[in-house]
Order: sequence, then C-alpha cells, then structure tokens
Amino acid sequence: MNSEISSNRPSRAVPNWIIASFLVISFIGFADATYLTAKHYSGTPLECSVFESCEKVTTSRYATVLGIPVALLGAIYYLAIFLSLIAYLDLRREGILSFTALFTIVGLLASAWFVYLQLFVIQAICPYCMVSAVASTVLFLLGMLALKKKRVSC
Amino acid sequence: MNPEHSHLSKKERRQLRRGERIAAEQHQTRRRFTRRIALWSSVLIGIGTVVFMIVKLSTQPPASGVPVVPSRIEITPEDWIKGESGSKVVLVEYSDFQCPACGTYYPILKQLYKEFGDRLQFVYRHFPLEQHRHADLAARAAEAAGRQGRIWEMHDLLFEGQATWANQNHPEEMFIGYARQLGLDIERFRADLDSREGKKAVEEDRISGNRVGVNSTPTFFLDGVIIQNPRNYDEFRNLLQQAIESRS
Repeated sequence: MNSEISSNRPSRAVPNWIIASFLVISFIGFADATYLTAKHYSGTPLECSVFESCEKVTTSRYATVLGIPVALLGAIYYLAIFLSLIAYLDLRREGILSFTALFTIVGLLASAWFVYLQLFVIQAICPYCMVSAVASTVLFLLGMLALKKKRVSC
Repeated sequence: MNPEHSHLSKKERRQLRRGERIAAEQHQTRRRFTRRIALWSSVLIGIGTVVFMIVKLSTQPPASGVPVVPSRIEITPEDWIKGESGSKVVLVEYSDFQCPACGTYYPILKQLYKEFGDRLQFVYRHFPLEQHRHADLAARAAEAAGRQGRIWEMHDLLFEGQATWANQNHPEEMFIGYARQLGLDIERFRADLDSREGKKAVEEDRISGNRVGVNSTPTFFLDGVIIQNPRNYDEFRNLLQQAIESRS
C-alpha cells in the first residue's frame, strides 16, 4: 500500500527542475542528432564554408559504425532518454529514473570518444557534434545529480 | 425502531456509498487514462513534427553565399582553362584541394567534362580555406605543375590523394612525388612551389573570389553567374544541358 502511494506521487527527492532540464536537454540532443542524420542521408552539404569547419567530420570513416551513421545512433539514444523521462512522468516508477540516470554514462563515454576523434584524429571540429557532446555531458551531470538526491532521501 | 429496517437501510446506505465510490474510481481511472493518452499522443505528435521540420530543413539547398545581385565573372588570361575556347558554356569553380566537398565534386566534374568536353570550358580557381592547413601549399603545387604545363594532371592527383596528404604533417614530399610521377623537372617544381609568383597567383584567385562573394568551396559560376551547388551528378548534368541548349 505504502509503495503504491509513493509510486503515484511525484518524486519528492528529485526536484522538478532536474526532470525538466533532462527533458529539454535530451530533446535538444535529439533534434541535433536528427539534423546530422538527415544531413548524412541527404548528402546536401557539399561545401566547405569560410565560417565553420566543413563536412569532414560527418563524412569521415568514423561517422558510421557497421554502416549505421553515428548521428542516427545518437538520435536514438536521445530519444530513448526523452521517452523514458516521459514514461517516468506517466508511471512515476522511481526505477525508470534511476535507470535513465545511469544510462547517461553511455552517452558521456560515446561523446568523449567522438570529441577525442575530432580533436586528435580527424583534426576538424563539427559544431553540431560538439552541441551533442555538451548535451550528453549535461545529461550525465543531471543524471548523477538525480541519483544523489534520491540516495540522500532514502 | 425496527432492527430489521435499520439493518436494511444501513446496508442500503453502504451499498449506495460503495456505488458512489466505484463510480468515482471509475471516473478517475477514465480520467487518468485520457490523460495518459493525451500525454503520449502529444509527445509522439511533437516528435513527429520536429523530425519532419528538421528533415525538411536539412534537405533544402543551402541559401548562403549567393549575393543578392549576382556578379558576373569573366575569364582572364591568368586562368587555368580546360576545353576549347569556342565552347558554348563556361563553368568556373572556386575550389580548395583539401576541402572534402571539393573532393566529392571532383569525380562528378571529371565525368561531366568527359560528357560535355567539346561544349564546355572549365576554369579552376584557387580558394584555399583557413581551416585546411595544407590547402595553400596544394594550390601552389598545382600552380607549379601548371608552369610546366601539367596543371590538370596535378589537379587530378591532388584530389585523388586528398585523403592521404591532408592528414600528413609534411605533404610536400607527396606533392614532389606527384611531380615525379608526372615526369616534371623536380628542381624547377621545388623552386616554383615556394616562388613569389606561385603564392601571388593563388592569392589573386582568392581575392577575386572574395570580391564576387565566394565564402564556401566549391562555388561554381555558370556562364559568369553564381549557381547553387547541384546535389548530384544528374542535377549538375541537367543544369549544363539547359545552359547549352539555351545558347543554341
């Protein structure tokens, strides 16, 4: 009975602003990665601009893993985070939040690897990829913060 | 008071209360269900809309770099020109040997030249970008080869080897290797690679590009007028075809 009550009520331990930021950041990440995926498939951006680094990063051999564009994997990742947050808001199961928070480590590690590739291997920066890296890092920090708040409340 | 009656009425009251409670619960369940449907459908519709907009946005041709008043450009005696001078259409490319996008256009242009060679004059102009650290040197290598009459062969080798030399710290050696492959006078090539004339030729191309609003590579001018980069071979082919037909 007790668990039923707590599971139907908004989590008191994790502040709403964390949940809201989670939703906003994961959605930004999703939009960003979707844009990169669309660019990857449409193949339109056939130019290098004076103002920004060109398509070197998104056309390098590191841009795909087993033929799947990394951008698509990123889009799926952000979408999964976003939808699990919605599921948490719907079902109010604390487990969903904990799992999502832990899952952000995957994004952090992947982003760290891609930033490393951009800086030291490809030696070109792709602005949209950097937006994604920042989003992943912020998601990870939010995730850890959520876990900490929860633990304190237990 | 009749105990029987009071019992009945109590039971009735209880039943009534239970009925009310069940109705309230049902109502709440229904409301919660409606709310869940609303939540998930608005999330899905929102995501769908955003994806649709992003995909549409990203498949639009980039609108940058096209000046409001298109400036006409003319061929100069200093230009590297491929094709007969009596050709019907002239295609000028501002390009950067280290730019991957230019590398992507290279086979397309080569194929187009094969197809339209007798009706098309092709001009290559340098526009080495800041972010490509070997682009300027590569442009000078092409100039140096040009001084020995082999600009187009060097142009091809540079684009074909782009992925290799672009990642090297000292691509000079590879460029000299290309010169050797083309049977050029290596001493002269080396000297021309660092010559003032070579640097000046590249710089003049870049300045001329800045003047006509080039801010990305490759930028194409068809019969002197800037065009948006065609997305593939067929689009490019149709564009040239139309230009040729409109001339005849």
